[in-house]
Amino acid sequence: MRVALSGITVRFGALTAVDDASLVIEPGEIHAIVGENGAGKTTLMNVLFGLVAPEAGTISLDGKEMRWASPQEAIRHGLGMVHQHFMLQESMTVLENVVLCAEPVGRFGFVDFAAARRRLAVVADEHGIAMDLDRPVGRLSVGERQVVEVLKMLYREAEVLILDEPTSVLTPLEKDRLFATLRSFRSAEKAIVLITHKLDEVMELADRVSVMRAGRLVRSGPLSATSKEEIARGIIGGELPPARQRTARTPGEEVLIVRDLKVAGRGGTVGPLSLSVRAGEIVGIAGVSGNGQAELIQAITGLAPSLSGEIVLCGRPIGNLDVEDRRLIGMSYIPEDRQRMGLALGATVSENANAGRDDSASFTRGPFLDRAAMAGFARQLIERYRIRTGGPTALASTMSGGNKQKLVVGRELARDTPLVIAENPTWGVDIGAIDFIHGELMRMRDEGHAVLLVSTELDEVLALSDRILVMYSGAFAGEVAGAEADRERIGSMMTSRVVDALPEVA
Amino acid sequence: MNGIGQGSMAREAVSWAVALAWIAAVLFILMALVGAPFGDALAAFLQNAFGGRRFSYLMATLSRTALIAGMAVSVMLSFRAGLFNIGGEGQLVAGGLAAALAALLLPGPPLFVLTASILAAMLAGAGWALLAGVMQLYVGVPLLVGSLLLNYPIRYIASYVVAHPFRDVQSGMVQSHLVPQATWLSYFPGTRLDIGILFIVAVSLFAVVYSRATVHGYHARMNGLSPAFARTVGLPVSKLTLQTLAMSGAVAGLVGAIAVFGMHHRYIDGMLVQPLYAWTGIIAVLLVGMIPWAVPLSGLFFAAIQTGAAGMERSAGVPKEIALVMQAVIILFVASRVSGALVASSERKAGATDDA
Amino acid sequence: MLDLLFDASFAASVPRFVTPILLAALGGALCERAGVFNIALEGFLLVGAFAAVVGSYFSGSPYIGALAAMLAGVAMGLVFAEFNLRRGGDAIVVSIAINILAAGLTTYLLRAIFDAMGAFSDPAIAGFARISIPGLASLPLIGPFLDGQSPLFYLALLMVPALSFFFARHRLGLRIRAAGENPAALEAGGVGRRRVQLYALMGCGALCGLGGAQLSIANVNLFVESMSAGRGWIAVVAVLLTRGRPWPLFAIAVIFGAVDSMSFRVQGLGMPQQFTDMMPYLATLVVLVALSWWRHGRTANGGTL
Repeated sequence: MRVALSGITVRFGALTAVDDASLVIEPGEIHAIVGENGAGKTTLMNVLFGLVAPEAGTISLDGKEMRWASPQEAIRHGLGMVHQHFMLQESMTVLENVVLCAEPVGRFGFVDFAAARRRLAVVADEHGIAMDLDRPVGRLSVGERQVVEVLKMLYREAEVLILDEPTSVLTPLEKDRLFATLRSFRSAEKAIVLITHKLDEVMELADRVSVMRAGRLVRSGPLSATSKEEIARGIIGGELPPARQRTARTPGEEVLIVRDLKVAGRGGTVGPLSLSVRAGEIVGIAGVSGNGQAELIQAITGLAPSLSGEIVLCGRPIGNLDVEDRRLIGMSYIPEDRQRMGLALGATVSENANAGRDDSASFTRGPFLDRAAMAGFARQLIERYRIRTGGPTALASTMSGGNKQKLVVGRELARDTPLVIAENPTWGVDIGAIDFIHGELMRMRDEGHAVLLVSTELDEVLALSDRILVMYSGAFAGEVAGAEADRERIGSMMTSRVVDALPEVA
Repeated sequence: MNGIGQGSMAREAVSWAVALAWIAAVLFILMALVGAPFGDALAAFLQNAFGGRRFSYLMATLSRTALIAGMAVSVMLSFRAGLFNIGGEGQLVAGGLAAALAALLLPGPPLFVLTASILAAMLAGAGWALLAGVMQLYVGVPLLVGSLLLNYPIRYIASYVVAHPFRDVQSGMVQSHLVPQATWLSYFPGTRLDIGILFIVAVSLFAVVYSRATVHGYHARMNGLSPAFARTVGLPVSKLTLQTLAMSGAVAGLVGAIAVFGMHHRYIDGMLVQPLYAWTGIIAVLLVGMIPWAVPLSGLFFAAIQTGAAGMERSAGVPKEIALVMQAVIILFVASRVSGALVASSERKAGATDDA
Repeated sequence: MLDLLFDASFAASVPRFVTPILLAALGGALCERAGVFNIALEGFLLVGAFAAVVGSYFSGSPYIGALAAMLAGVAMGLVFAEFNLRRGGDAIVVSIAINILAAGLTTYLLRAIFDAMGAFSDPAIAGFARISIPGLASLPLIGPFLDGQSPLFYLALLMVPALSFFFARHRLGLRIRAAGENPAALEAGGVGRRRVQLYALMGCGALCGLGGAQLSIANVNLFVESMSAGRGWIAVVAVLLTRGRPWPLFAIAVIFGAVDSMSFRVQGLGMPQQFTDMMPYLATLVVLVALSWWRHGRTANGGTL
């Protein structure tokens, strides 16, 4: 089936998310759509899938103009989508998930699971997919869940398959398997749309590539007619910032020591984990999301209790202290979830900037607040971290993702603590803000702070870390020095326990 | 810019007008059911809410306002901190009971007895609220459920106390003896309005200053807007929770004491429960979306509805429960406008449900 | 003393107390599983109890009464849906308003329709007769509990496996679970979350209505102001504790019902009424605390926090 989008425009309030975009998706082709976060890729595909109604523009399938009232109509016409956040019910089995919303029903609306099972066996066989249909999805790994999503599309006999950032949660091996499946779809003359921000994948897989920037489609054409550099320039609208220079530095004494730490996690106990971070170094923790990083960080920050083991900060055991005391001893924390944990969105910029400050005397008078001093501090942060906002009294919810993150980073780094913990600090922000935040973390390192960086973006870990720990299945699979880090080796550690004997990390 | 502003204002006005029309329609149907003349009923309503000889009805409205606004302030302190304490009724009863018992048992000069009784009431209210807080923090019973369930035991305890050990048997009613007359709150000259309302004015002023200008109020509000945020930046969340609940309960206890010393001069079974003071306080807070200075005014509004409805019953034969229907319908129509801390708290409640 | 408590008439009284709580809780389970935080079960029950009396009084048939109660419950569900789902009001706020609305409306209508204050009883209110199912009484142990109850009790019993099967095998049941767990996935599949939740609310209203009918035209033949007396709240607690799973819900409802019925019996033995009235709430609190502790104990040993 041939899909043509022409002149699509979507506005959310004052923001133009997609601006007059036109493109064609051919059957038997893998069409990559690339661009930064917020460039409008996902919104454009949500339009095609009937989740968002465009303000202007048309969709046509095989030359026939379509107007979706709901995703159900799009699904009926052969479209399928795998969303970035999986659309699955964890408590349900694979089979229940697959049939949900497309249930074969018998009498009185009861679901005919036997018929569904038969039909599913046929399609899964066709593309060489094996999956136990009776396991609850909550027990599946991330990669397996993606297979469930793919099965859902096959079950609905989708002819056009849209995948939104499908590899962001996969290990390299799982990624290869997914790509093989996608190639099998291509030979079955299905049309495949791959939304991604990873250029290597585009080069590896795509037949045709479209580049979006700030809501506009800046180029669209066969992959063979362009180059990686050209696509990159299209994405950011100019040259890439130069690679970061690392100043040589001998790390100082150990600021954070973790010994044999065990934490309760989903699915089982995480640990025992041991690590140390010294003054003047960035220790990166790489790994696919959900391998115990969140539990480790929660235990170190005091947000969750640890089961056993020892945590020492600046020479003092902190395992039994609460969050407030740990922060006072010398810890800052940039959480992954800025919307819930990093900021109180309903409060003002000033209220957010002053929360958790140690020097409460400088913005209070007895039990009362000194609003002027609070605003003054907020203004300092706004200037120092180039935060674009309406001012100290603007609500935090009115800022863009990048500026929200800069506010969180600014508030935490301004505390100037010996230890800084950054958890996916650049998740979902634009390239400008990423560069700025990376620069700030590097500055902290150069000034002699200890930085613990957890990131699921391997590139980020590689770019910043002096040492890299790889986490897999609740344990460290290995350690690599930043200078000699090798993508392939780290990639293999991300999928298995200790490969070869490595020195004890501590 | 201007055009957009006016357009949205016009839309806003229309949506309010539609809501008002709905509320009026509901009331009209209810009145038609009992065959009451609409005009007379309305006149009686206004007369009884605000009028009367020498404004005696207005005074009745004001003395009811004291209790409702007091409960509203109590509830607001909790809600703003993201604590869904709907056990105000229990805290109110605990306060009223403690006040009456203290006044009956304590010897000494009247002013001392009065002061000590009020303090006892505030302590009792705070204690009852803390019980719910401790259950949430250390046992994992969601505050919403725990605080609500605690309403019932104290209600029956109070009922037992005034039905058996402290009953004024001669009166023939289920009620305690009168508290010493010298401890009664005096009336404003020439009226039947006691000075209890001054306590509530003071508490309301405290609440405004506390919410806007104190460090504790700031921290509590951050916790109300996003509990995860408050924990992450190291605010002392457990301490905040307990302190805020204690404050909230103490205000409820104070309201109970005012009802004893100002209005009834004894504890009568059901006197604090039947008029739904606590629930009216909750909806008074919801009506104005937890804006501190507006909460007492909202309390006045609902008090006026209740005394007005009582008047309609006397003059036009409309059952006074129409007030409850009116309040409920008003809240239903403003429910979609309630946001902020409350929404955050119901998210957390969803999280708490997972735990429980 | 114990023989006085646990005799045949105790056995026969337990189902009378279990039925309203169970029906309301099953209704609440529909909402809970659908992701609607409906804590207005108390109001739903009360309206059901009143409507049952109205229907039965004017028709002379308890079945019409029960039907009226169901319809009234559905109407309350629709009000909830209108203000929570369509207008987007916070579920807790809407619930509180509906509970107050139910208290006000029933008392108002009691005076408007029957000209009665506080309570209304009349020979014209036809109550449910107790029905005896052959063979049931002779079952060991549970026989005395099961025999000779109102039809609503048997219906409530049937609803437990029925609802369980509905959630597992029915298209709407599946979608209700999805709406509660990951509504975004339901929307992405092209099914509107709010429509599914609307059906859940209507079903909840119908079940609560029947629970109310049990209170007013099966247990007694009269309506008393606020006669639901906190049972809706106990049902809410039962739903929260079991996360809306029918079988555990049944177990909890039986415990609460048994305590309720026991407190009624102890009262006859001279304990002050205030203490016996308190028992169901204390029992609820005790169960809550015990279960929370048990869960905490488990999480401390490596489960999910």
